[in-house]
Amino acid sequence: MARTRRARRSRRPRLTIGLLILASITVITLDYRGDAHGAIGSLKRVAHDVFSPVQSAVDAAVRPIGSFLAGAVHAGALEQQNAKLRAELGVEQRRLLARGADAATLRSLQALEHLSWAAAVTQVDAIPKVAAQVVALNPSDFAATVQLDVGRAEGVDVGMPVVGGAGLVGQVIDVWSSGCTVRIVTDARSAVGVRYGNPAGYALMQGSGIGDPLAVQYIQPGTALGVGEVLTTSGLQNALFPPGIPVARITSFSSTPSSTQEAVSAQPVVDLAALQYVDVLQWEPAP
Amino acid sequence: MRHPPPGPMGVAEVARYSLLVFSALALQHSLLDFVRISGAHPDVMLLFPAAAGYVGGPERGATVGFCTGLAVDLLLPTTFGLSALVGCLVGFGTGAATAGLVRSSWWLPVVSFTAATVTGLVGYAVLGAVLGDPAMLRADLASALVVATPAAAVLALPVRVAVAWAVPPAPPSATANPGGAFR
Repeated sequence: MARTRRARRSRRPRLTIGLLILASITVITLDYRGDAHGAIGSLKRVAHDVFSPVQSAVDAAVRPIGSFLAGAVHAGALEQQNAKLRAELGVEQRRLLARGADAATLRSLQALEHLSWAAAVTQVDAIPKVAAQVVALNPSDFAATVQLDVGRAEGVDVGMPVVGGAGLVGQVIDVWSSGCTVRIVTDARSAVGVRYGNPAGYALMQGSGIGDPLAVQYIQPGTALGVGEVLTTSGLQNALFPPGIPVARITSFSSTPSSTQEAVSAQPVVDLAALQYVDVLQWEPAP
Repeated sequence: MRHPPPGPMGVAEVARYSLLVFSALALQHSLLDFVRISGAHPDVMLLFPAAAGYVGGPERGATVGFCTGLAVDLLLPTTFGLSALVGCLVGFGTGAATAGLVRSSWWLPVVSFTAATVTGLVGYAVLGAVLGDPAMLRADLASALVVATPAAAVLALPVRVAVAWAVPPAPPSATANPGGAFR
């Protein structure tokens, strides 16, 4: 009798772990198949809504201390960086003014040539934007994502592109009332259609993981490319991003006689490790 | 010293452990996520299943690890349920591996929790890839291990104390040590 009870007791942990593994695999399968996406998505949104105020409060309490310590340690470097940024800002302001003049010239040329269809092409500057702050950086080491402090309440939705600094940061993949998660272009699950060269060629740029260079695919061997050349979003039909947003600069390219495509690496134009403020473009891909 | 298998957790234990996990998640997402070295950050959440297994045995480790993992999954963009699977395996494994060991050494939780963190991170990447997301293996696992391992060693003792407060082990009993000399 005692032996039976003991045997039952020794089997119980194995039974428990077996049931828990089965439950985990069931949940994972439902998530992959999308059968429970609605329920899981709702649960995640509620969790984020509950957790966001707590996270903001802890962040508000802790960040000034961290910033003070970092500032004290890096004071000299920060002064230099400020001076460099002021100089870069001046250059960008000059470019912006010149670009305004170019845009006016282009409009008058379009009018002269009766190119009314050209006005229908989406101009990135004309898309409404929501300014946002990055509140969490890569919550998982296994996915390159950031969290922003704007959500449904500000008109943000899944699929909207996010830009910051000089170019594309990524795309909104999850949104709740006061925040959203953005998959950044370096994530291994990210793929962006890009345009290069003159005349234009089109390629697919894929992330390779946090900190790794981007891989540009489907460029024919021997194509004329240049290191430093900027790749922009393609904006082809049904593209996930509007056309003309700078995404990355080519850092290397090579091919062998037997290769079927050029091996091209690129680096994002945005400093993704130091993201603080970004804009969410209120633009959604065509259905 | 061997503890008897724990019974189901009471309301007070569930409340204390929930509060602990909520606080740990706030610490992880507001502070530790911003401590970045080579793109990786320390991970305190993997220590909780290990501590529950160490304190309460394999069964409690598995149960607590599963629940902690589900809570973690709610806030992560990765596959829902993957942290729960890794958590229950880490909790069970730590409980089973340390069940027969003398608990008087201060370094035992440090070593066992650090080993659990390494196993958990590798398991997370491999299971994620096996269960349908090959991108998990393209993540920089080496950086994650280099950052998470020393952090786990530093945080092991405070986490053990906190988990022992939240879900205290059942007191040792004579029946739980049938092979003991004084039975």
